[in-house]
Amino acid sequence: MKKVLIFIISIILITTLLAACTQSGPASVLDKIKKDGKILVGTSADYPPYEFVDSAGQKTGFDIELMEEIGKKMGVTVEWVDMPFDSLIAAVKEGKIDISISCFNYDEDRAKEVGFSKAYFNSEDSFIANKDFTGKIEKPEDVAAYKLGVQSGTTQDTWIKENLIDKNLIKEENVQLYERVDQAALDLAAGRIDILMADYVPAKALLKANPGFQMLLHEAIASAGPLNIVLPLNDEKVKTEIDKAIDTLQTEGVIDQLAAKYFGE
Amino acid sequence: MDLGNFLSYIASGTLYTLGASLIALPAGLILGLLFALLYLYGGKVLSNLMAVYSTVMRGIPPIVLLFVLYFVVSGSVNLSPFLAGSISLGIISSAYQMEIIRGAIQCVSGGQLMAARAIGLSQTQAVREILLPQALRIALPSWSNEAAIVIKDSSLIYALGVPEILRRAQLISASTQQPFLAYSAAAIIYFALVFITTRLLGRLEQKLAIPANP
Amino acid sequence: MTEPILRIRNLTKKYADKVIFQHIDLEVKSGDTIVIIGPSGTGKSTLLRCINLLTRPNEGQIFLNGEEITAKGINEDHVRQRIGMVFQNFLLFNHLTALENVKLGLTKVRHMKAEEAEVKAISHLKRVGLSEHMDKYPGQLSGGQQQRVGIARALAMDPEIMLFDEPTSALDPELIGEVLEVMRDLSKSGMTMVVVTHEMGFAREVADSIIFMERGSIVEEGSPEELFEHAHFPRTREFLGKISELYGKKEKKGE
Repeated sequence: MKKVLIFIISIILITTLLAACTQSGPASVLDKIKKDGKILVGTSADYPPYEFVDSAGQKTGFDIELMEEIGKKMGVTVEWVDMPFDSLIAAVKEGKIDISISCFNYDEDRAKEVGFSKAYFNSEDSFIANKDFTGKIEKPEDVAAYKLGVQSGTTQDTWIKENLIDKNLIKEENVQLYERVDQAALDLAAGRIDILMADYVPAKALLKANPGFQMLLHEAIASAGPLNIVLPLNDEKVKTEIDKAIDTLQTEGVIDQLAAKYFGE
Repeated sequence: MDLGNFLSYIASGTLYTLGASLIALPAGLILGLLFALLYLYGGKVLSNLMAVYSTVMRGIPPIVLLFVLYFVVSGSVNLSPFLAGSISLGIISSAYQMEIIRGAIQCVSGGQLMAARAIGLSQTQAVREILLPQALRIALPSWSNEAAIVIKDSSLIYALGVPEILRRAQLISASTQQPFLAYSAAAIIYFALVFITTRLLGRLEQKLAIPANP
Repeated sequence: MTEPILRIRNLTKKYADKVIFQHIDLEVKSGDTIVIIGPSGTGKSTLLRCINLLTRPNEGQIFLNGEEITAKGINEDHVRQRIGMVFQNFLLFNHLTALENVKLGLTKVRHMKAEEAEVKAISHLKRVGLSEHMDKYPGQLSGGQQQRVGIARALAMDPEIMLFDEPTSALDPELIGEVLEVMRDLSKSGMTMVVVTHEMGFAREVADSIIFMERGSIVEEGSPEELFEHAHFPRTREFLGKISELYGKKEKKGE
């Protein structure tokens, strides 16, 4: 009897705690940003060359430098908050960070939770494998015949789920999810997965670091394409401000310069 | 040399790891002691409440509790991830420490309490002067174990974005594609922290040991 | 007639439906030593623990120097400060030295200053012959030494009455003597004592009155001569006979 009582009270406690989570934020996060003179930007600095750390432990990368430029345009300093990729969306939702830049693609499911800026860059998806891989990959769906690896929470992850698993082209157990893309690369090198699906630019970085890899295919598959900054949901004021900054930087050629610096072939 | 810089970057996460542990352990001790006393001497209602608390907090994986406490509870109070994470770790540890202390108190023979009451000490005095000094000595070995666990579990706050040792190792591993080096460095640092802590507590144990004839 | 230091009226104690003792009536005059004897499990220890309120009786009353200590609203801690108890298993505070054991009640209960308490504690340890061992811990003392510290600890509180619950039952035979000697001196010095024991030699020599309890009731009560020479009840004679046979031998050897 005591055990039943304990169980019931535990459930009540937990659900009460969870229900206590109500969404209540300021009218626009932009007001707070201007007032504090700084913007809290979340990122997951484990994704070279978009965001990573240099030998001095400083954050660097395409997204990092771009955001610093945007901050300058907005007249505020950027305060970086690093956390695992999966936690970023929730952190913006809960107001722990103001916005997030971390190689995000626009995605319908994400759009229910958070808002997006306009695109600041275009990316592609890619599939990489070991050099000794002999399969023929002519279109993306061909990879369904093999063991796949992908970073969890990414648009690539969603694409695999919706286009391969849900369409019964591949069994769920043949798709391995990873917290970070470098973990997936390790398994690829070890042969635990056959093909790794990732964003084109970091995939190229992996190829550079791992001579044993080869690029099988890269193109703008349905999920990929534009990269957007994640914003609080329905916050028109901050979206306008950030979109403006992106446009300006585009016109000034800053974005192209950064692309050449970090993605240059 | 770049490698040296990377390694010292990982090592500087020790500040956060130690900080989190130094908040979580004492917090867990104060709460755990309070809860143990409430469980044993607080009457039926409080006792049952404490039993529920202990069962729930020890029945959920720490990382899940960490997320619940961080995203849900600190939703209204805006604490930094470091503070929220450290306090959450303390709350989690308090459930385990409560059990350690409770068990230790129950190890002290009932006669000790009886003799204390017999010379006119009140219940509070008896618990404070006679029971606890003996119980805490009994609890030390288990507590040393819990201290090691808290130091290692502090790595969980990486998920909240605290730049402690593990997160830094992850970032370096991603940047340099040298996971073995990065994680070995992290492992060595954690090991050193735990080793030193358990050694120090072992010395404390020896210092506090009550002399007896073999 | 002066009020007896201890008066027990119609005392009954039950655990669930098991009767430990019932309808106990007892009086102890100031300066007397009462020895309670009887088979194990007949409620003797429980009776002692009722006297200093470590256990609550179900029925009946206890009066300490005329004051009813079983009344509602009585501060039990204060009552226990006036009654000293010595336990079969010594129950010294394991984490404190002999001196600290004796000092504790003085500083924490009587609120004496540390220096004052120390002086008094040392004098009591001297009285039981243990002043050279005062910085030793219970784990470093023999059983007999521990029990003597236990006696000093209880005496230091200046109790109105001392209760002894089989004080030598847990001791090796060679160590019993030193404890009984302390108790004998204490009795001679005029302390009111209630002693539960199997030591017949002690009972015969030191008791002012002996009570034989069996199965929760007082069977017989009287002076040592009365009980040992011509006990009224056959059961009394039977018990005394057996026990004297067992323990009387020690007496002949001169303890």
